[in-house]
Amino acid sequence: MSQQEDPNRMLRDAVTAFAARDTSITRVRQLRDTAPGFDKAVWKTIAELGWTGIMIPEEYGGMGLGLGEMAAVLEEFAKTLSPEPLNPSSVLAAGALLHGNNEALKKKLLPGIASGEILPALAWQETEGGIDPLAIATRAEGGALNGGKRFVFPADADGYLVSARSGNGPAVYWVDKGSAGLTVEYEPRADGTRCGRISLKNVKVIDAQLAASGKTAGAALQRAVDEATIMAGAELLGVMSRALEITLEYMRIRVQFGKPIGSFQALQHRAVDLFIQKELSFSVLRDALLQTAADASGLGLWASRVKSRCSEAGMRIGRESIQIHGGIGFADECDIGLYLKRAMVLSAWLGNGAVHRRRYAALAPAEAAA
Amino acid sequence: MQAQDWDKMDDEAFRLEVRGFFRKEYPEHLRFPAYHLRWADTKDWYKKLVDKGWAAPGWPKEWGGMGLSPGKLLIFIEEQERHGVARTPDMGIILLGPLLIKFATEEQKKQFLPPSLRGEYIWCQGYSEPNAGSDLASLKVEAVLDRDEYVINGSKTWTSYAMDATHMFILARTDKKAKKQEGISFLLVDMKTPGITVRPIRNLLGVEVFAEVFLDNVRTPAKWLVGKPNQGWTMAKALLGFERISIGSPKLAQTGLKRLDAIVRSQGLTQDPAFMDRYTQLRLDVADLASTYSRFADLLKRGETLGPDVSILKIVATETFQRLTELTLEAAGDAGAIGGKAAFRKDSVDILSPFYNARPATIYGGSNEIQRNILAKNVLDLPS
Repeated sequence: MSQQEDPNRMLRDAVTAFAARDTSITRVRQLRDTAPGFDKAVWKTIAELGWTGIMIPEEYGGMGLGLGEMAAVLEEFAKTLSPEPLNPSSVLAAGALLHGNNEALKKKLLPGIASGEILPALAWQETEGGIDPLAIATRAEGGALNGGKRFVFPADADGYLVSARSGNGPAVYWVDKGSAGLTVEYEPRADGTRCGRISLKNVKVIDAQLAASGKTAGAALQRAVDEATIMAGAELLGVMSRALEITLEYMRIRVQFGKPIGSFQALQHRAVDLFIQKELSFSVLRDALLQTAADASGLGLWASRVKSRCSEAGMRIGRESIQIHGGIGFADECDIGLYLKRAMVLSAWLGNGAVHRRRYAALAPAEAAA
Repeated sequence: MQAQDWDKMDDEAFRLEVRGFFRKEYPEHLRFPAYHLRWADTKDWYKKLVDKGWAAPGWPKEWGGMGLSPGKLLIFIEEQERHGVARTPDMGIILLGPLLIKFATEEQKKQFLPPSLRGEYIWCQGYSEPNAGSDLASLKVEAVLDRDEYVINGSKTWTSYAMDATHMFILARTDKKAKKQEGISFLLVDMKTPGITVRPIRNLLGVEVFAEVFLDNVRTPAKWLVGKPNQGWTMAKALLGFERISIGSPKLAQTGLKRLDAIVRSQGLTQDPAFMDRYTQLRLDVADLASTYSRFADLLKRGETLGPDVSILKIVATETFQRLTELTLEAAGDAGAIGGKAAFRKDSVDILSPFYNARPATIYGGSNEIQRNILAKNVLDLPS
């Protein structure tokens, strides 16, 4: 993209400054396989930079900007491999609350979410995963939640927005961490972060905790998931761009048979094919942001287009980067593996390429020639 | 007709104006032709374009063109594709015209541009040779100056429309001692000159669109050399930019998808999840091609110049279209080898012609392998 085309240059520059000042690959390595798996001080910095509130309206203490601005920040942020849960908390979880219909709860929580004091997580998927937010077995009955949630990230949140099925259809409840009957187990993810497996046994809830109910709950969940899905595409774009840069640089300096390996045509064409996948990812994301800003009705279709391309491209660039690096690419000391692992996590999260191809086919049946 | 200032017109209004003209005036039986039409098929249509003043949309108005900006020209081409308007033997308009306008003398422009615009001169392009394909700069056709004429010897090949052409523009070697690219000149030749033999080449569709052209002591006036001697390569290369984006248009693939969908339904393949996964992948590839095309088109429409990364468009467009034609053959099953309009339960569809037409698309205009070389060197900055 030419510089003139990018209206978010300042936001991107701010992330570049953050990358130089507040994080490093060393930090990313140190946080792997630790609890909670990210640095609360860095989260505070991120909040001070305003990124946690980009999509939260100004009346709730956010910046009131849109997906375009969030995408610019997330793409650059993802290049740093920082484990802080910016998209999961600030887009997915905050979105489910924001798109809900409990004004008092929004007023109570959103300013804290924007300022970084409250770290929320959306607990919407269950044992089998899947991307249908209405496939809910967890029950909300008699003022209590019973059921289980899986793939919750961040696992160590200050509170969870839990989807449940009630007499009145789908519902989303805000449940504080440490509530009686709520327990969290952990599952390790490929990139050294961890997600939560939440068990809800007779967790008492009151109406004030009901973030969304009925049709609004279903729509709020779907919209938050679709928005976060497009944003995961932006993160994947950042990861694959950086992985490709690193791999191209390696091709320029690694000498075998007396020449840089980047001079070999077999590898050049392979690199070009990876570059093309990155460019296609950029194209579909760019188009999705333009089109959904003009007309939000196609959000789900665009989310599936973005995620299927970016998941597959991110995985392919990650895998082939290992191959092009040769033996060192398989060594943990080499950074390229970190990019593959993050691509694996982002690819699987919110539905991988195959899942979104199926959804695309269901949402947009092909039209035959007239 | 008074030349109009099209660039002052709003993009959408211009689009509708062009669309309306094609709908009203373009012959129905020539829409979406299965292969390149010959001059005999298209000359009446070309005459209409001339009368309308639309024969050379990209040329400046002083030479009888529409004077369209790159952005408007793109809209014009998009509407042509949308309506299925066939290309005429248009090498003179698309390739030669802009080169003459940029590099020729006033005298040459006056001599060649007006008759080319009117369709009196039909041009063919003499670049490739039997032993100079991807390695075009190794071309061997030689032009030796003999007083006020060049004497040309050798052979050119894959020359589209050579049978229809009245003239040919060629790249010929004028300095054998210079480095590969530096001894090549750009010359114009009258096809009626003694010593020219045209041998049509039948292609995989069974039709003759291109030919081999033998040049045996062919004499062309020295003043028909365009630009400076030995600068032909640089001039020819300078005009490739716009080609790459028009070749990258998603229209062909989008039309092909509709044809494929008719077969998919007719064959009951919507119940086959393995097929549907690959079919959906293809649909997404076509959609993402369209997003990539619109990204480069938006740059052009804003008046920016395209970088070397536009080569990805040619690769993605042609390879996506190839895969589409392959999946169409697969979906057709037993009918996947039936020529002409193959009958399915609901429709009759020509599936072989697009399959064949998709083959040369990855070869001409710099093969996709050459495009990858260009990208590796000029965009990815990989060493040679």
